[in-house]
Amino acid sequence: MVDAALSPHATLALNSARLRRALRADQIFQRLTFCCALLVLVIFAGIIWALVDGALPAIRAFGFAFLWTEVWNPVTERFGGLAPIAGTLITSFLAMLVAIPVGIGIAIFLTEICPRPLRRPIGIAIELLAGIPSIIYGIWGLFVLAPMLQQSVMPPVIDAFAGIPVLSSLFAGPPYGIGIFTAALILSIMTIPFISAITRDVFETVPPVLKEAAYGLGATTWEVLWNVVLPYTRGGVVGGIMLALGRALGETMAVTFVIGNAHRISASLFAPGTTISAAIANEFTEAIGELYLPALVELGLVLFFVTFCVLALAQYMLYRLEQRAGGRS
Amino acid sequence: MTMAENGAVKVAINDLSFFYGEMQALKKITLSLRRNKVTAFIGPSGCGKSTLLRVLNRIYEIYPNQRATGEVLMDGENILSPRQDLNLLRAKVGMVFQKPTPFPMSIFDNIAFGLQLYDRLPRSELEGRVETALKRAALWDEVKDKLHQSGNSLSGGQQQRLCIARSVATKPELILLDEPCSALDPISTAKIEELIAELSQDYTITIVTHNMQQASRVSDFTAFMFLGELIEFGETEKIFTTPTKKRTEDYITGRFG
Repeated sequence: MVDAALSPHATLALNSARLRRALRADQIFQRLTFCCALLVLVIFAGIIWALVDGALPAIRAFGFAFLWTEVWNPVTERFGGLAPIAGTLITSFLAMLVAIPVGIGIAIFLTEICPRPLRRPIGIAIELLAGIPSIIYGIWGLFVLAPMLQQSVMPPVIDAFAGIPVLSSLFAGPPYGIGIFTAALILSIMTIPFISAITRDVFETVPPVLKEAAYGLGATTWEVLWNVVLPYTRGGVVGGIMLALGRALGETMAVTFVIGNAHRISASLFAPGTTISAAIANEFTEAIGELYLPALVELGLVLFFVTFCVLALAQYMLYRLEQRAGGRS
Repeated sequence: MTMAENGAVKVAINDLSFFYGEMQALKKITLSLRRNKVTAFIGPSGCGKSTLLRVLNRIYEIYPNQRATGEVLMDGENILSPRQDLNLLRAKVGMVFQKPTPFPMSIFDNIAFGLQLYDRLPRSELEGRVETALKRAALWDEVKDKLHQSGNSLSGGQQQRLCIARSVATKPELILLDEPCSALDPISTAKIEELIAELSQDYTITIVTHNMQQASRVSDFTAFMFLGELIEFGETEKIFTTPTKKRTEDYITGRFG
């Protein structure tokens, strides 16, 4: 019997050869994935190094005062980042103020209220909206939205709030059409699809039986959403909002089109301003002085830091939320 | 009928049919649930037991294309009527599901949630009601020191008792238990069965179960269903000792299903 003569030692030898090959392949695979992960860290470190190195002359010249100086004078080479930093934070904050409720509202409508046959078409439309290149939003903002705001929205608002202490300076003229307000509006339109698409996806992960249990207690749609669906999905929802905020903070093209690119801080939301990314995109071609380019790079470094802080804050918020809910199993 | 002696009718179901789209899941069911009695629904999977329960609080309404015809009279009022206030109905009918469904909030809030839907209770009364509910569900001693931990941190059996506490907290008139023990270990199951016996003093209870022994242990009446039809309905003792229909006998003796 040949078979009997072969086994068991022969098969064992055969197997161990195969096993060794498989083990080696496994090792190679493990190293490969490790290298991929390492690559991310290398790139990350490289970017930080490049930014710090590029910004070094400006950091040496202006120190931390860069962060709270409003002057931006290429002729005298005096640079301060306050205006673009403030512009970035204000436009993003305002954009989130609009985009979060609207985006979550759309998601609620799509998952709970919308008639079934309409869900897919509307969902696809929103995903398409998220895919529109930002330059198109910029063009649309400059040629359609801004004139519209200038002619029919800003003048009546300015008139309406004239004389009311805080509001009159917040909405002070002249109505340029472009400015902080318009940029925030464009940003909110751009980020709504992100928030609503992600929120809808996480809403759909809520087990139907959990919703049934809440409805079964006699809760209304609103009560079920607010007390069960949102707490259950808070991680995903906050994640979606942070992704949107990240996009808003760094958005360049659309904002550059409509913000007016003025290095000053005004009380009025209708006044032109600038953001970090808009300032960099607008000015790097003409940045020829000793300190001009380093100042722009330093702005980039600040943006990097701000985005990092926002993400860290989001993580911390999530952590606190979960603490408050008593932790999860 | 001898059954009439066993207490008044709480829910009278007449000619109830139910449709998932085109598919008919219940075929002209007629039976009565007695006040303060436990009625068990048994039958093979897909026979319509759970569907019947889902009609009683009209939870099916949150899905499209599901409809019920016929009549379900609860204390003489047709709850299938379009004029029936659904939130009010669901306040009167508590439901516990196969898998525990604690809400993503603390143990305390899990109970308080249902209470606060109807009443704006002062904090002290709210605490009292939560405590009472947890005691009724025989869970108080196990959770009283960690009321503000997540409901998800409990074991499966505790979670299920939390869900029972949640549904009795609002003082419903009818409790629907949809295979409440199928995901639980024997000890938790025993605890919940004890609980059912105790709760039946105050509540009308219906339970769907795949466990014959459980049905015979906990229920006063048993309904055997098959393919959407009610085959036999009567006192549990009779159904399990002297069933009149051949199919009932085959099922409870384990010859099919």
